[in-house]
Amino acid sequence: MALHEMNFEFKVDNPKSINKEWSHLGVVGSGDMEVLMEKKDFDGATKVKVVTPVTGFDKVWGMVLEKFVNESSLGDVYLEINDNNATPIIVSLRLRQALAEANNSETGGAN
Amino acid sequence: MSAWKDVQKLSFTDASARERALGIVDEDTFTEFVGPRNKMSSPHLPILGEAIEFDDGIVTGVGLVGKRPVFVISQEGNFIGGSVGEVGGAKMVNTIRLALKAYEDVKEKYPDSYEERLPAVVISFETGGVRLHEANAGLLAHAEVMDQIQNARGKIPVITVIGSKVGCFGGMGFVAAATDIIVMNEEGRLGLTGPEVIEQEMGKDEFDAGNKALVFRTTGGKHKYIMQDCNFLVANKVAAFREQLEEIMEIPFAEVENYRRIGSLKLVEEQFELVKLAAELQPKDSKEMWKYYGNEDPDQLNELPFEEFLKNAKRRERNC
Repeated sequence: MALHEMNFEFKVDNPKSINKEWSHLGVVGSGDMEVLMEKKDFDGATKVKVVTPVTGFDKVWGMVLEKFVNESSLGDVYLEINDNNATPIIVSLRLRQALAEANNSETGGAN
Repeated sequence: MSAWKDVQKLSFTDASARERALGIVDEDTFTEFVGPRNKMSSPHLPILGEAIEFDDGIVTGVGLVGKRPVFVISQEGNFIGGSVGEVGGAKMVNTIRLALKAYEDVKEKYPDSYEERLPAVVISFETGGVRLHEANAGLLAHAEVMDQIQNARGKIPVITVIGSKVGCFGGMGFVAAATDIIVMNEEGRLGLTGPEVIEQEMGKDEFDAGNKALVFRTTGGKHKYIMQDCNFLVANKVAAFREQLEEIMEIPFAEVENYRRIGSLKLVEEQFELVKLAAELQPKDSKEMWKYYGNEDPDQLNELPFEEFLKNAKRRERNC
C-alpha cells in the first residue's frame, strides 16, 4: 500500500546546471505530476527521486528520465517528482517545462 | 513579460492555485509561505498509498494591494479534489494567525493611520471539504479555520473568492459562508452538500446532478448573486478578481460588516425571513426565485452575456 519510491542517478559529458537555485512546476492531479528542481553540488551528476502510487514501471521511469537528462545535458541538479499516474509523454513534457522555467531569468519567484 | 502579467490574462478557472495566489495581489509582491521547497506534504497519504504534493494542495502567502498586506490562501482542486487535510488546514489556520499578528503590528506602528494599511485575508476556495483520508484531522482543521475567522471578526476583513471548477462545498461551504465578503464568477459554485451527494442520497428526482444547467442555476455564481449569497459577481479572469479585490479594499472597515450574511441577530432574522418565504413559495426551481425578485424572464436573463446579465439582473433586496 505504501507509496513507491525510486532513486536514479545519471551522468553526461559536459553537464550544465540550471540558472535558478530552485524551481517548481506542476500539480499532482490525476494523470499528472509535480517536479522540484534544485541546484546541488553532485560532481556533475543528476539525481532523481520519484514518489508514486504506481509500481512495476521502474524501468520505464529510468528510460524517460535518462533520455531527458541526456537531451538537456543536465548536471548538478536534484529532481524530486511527486507523481500520480502520469504517462511517459506527460512526464517528458513536464520535465521540459520545468527546465525551461528553471532557466528563465524573466520570471521571478524562485531564485 | 513577467509571470504576473501572464497570469492576469488567464481564466481564473484554468489557473492553478499558485497562479491565482500570485495574480490576485499587486505585481511582484507575492511571497509564498511553506512553499513546495519546504516539502510539508501530508503524513497520512503515503500510508494509504495515495499520491502526495509538496504543498498539500494549498498555497499560502502574503502580497500587497496598495499599501495593505493581503494574506492569501488558495486551494488546488486538481489535487485530491482540493480536500483539506491536516497540513493544508494548518497552513490555512496559521496564515490567518499571521494576518492577525500583522494587524497588531500595524496598529502599534501606525496608531493614527493603521486603517490604510489594514491587513486582509483572501481565501480562494476550490474544495469539497474534508479530506476523508485524514478524517478527524481534516475535520479539526475546519473547526480551527472557523475559529480563526471568528478571531479576525471586527479586526480585519476575510474575503472569499470562488471561481474554480470544483467550487466550494462540504465543510468549506460553511467556512466560506462565515467570511465577510464573497466574490464569485459564473463558473464558481457554492453549497453545502454537493450535487452528486444529494443525488446519491435522495435520488435523481430530488436533484439530477447530471443536469449541468440545473446544477449551475442552483449552486452557480449567478443564482448566488441574485440571492445575495455572494456579494460580487466578476468575469472569469484573474485580472477581474484582482480588480474586484482592489475595490473591496476601498470599503471602509466599519462597513464591511454590512456585507455579511450570517453572524448577528439581525442577520439571523433575515435568514429566518428567507426560510419563511421558501415555505410559502415552495419553489421547485431557482428560476422561480429569480422571477420572484423581479426578473420577468429568467431564461432569457440566464442566456445574456456576463456584462448584460450584471446590468439587468434584479437581486433580492437586503433589509439591513
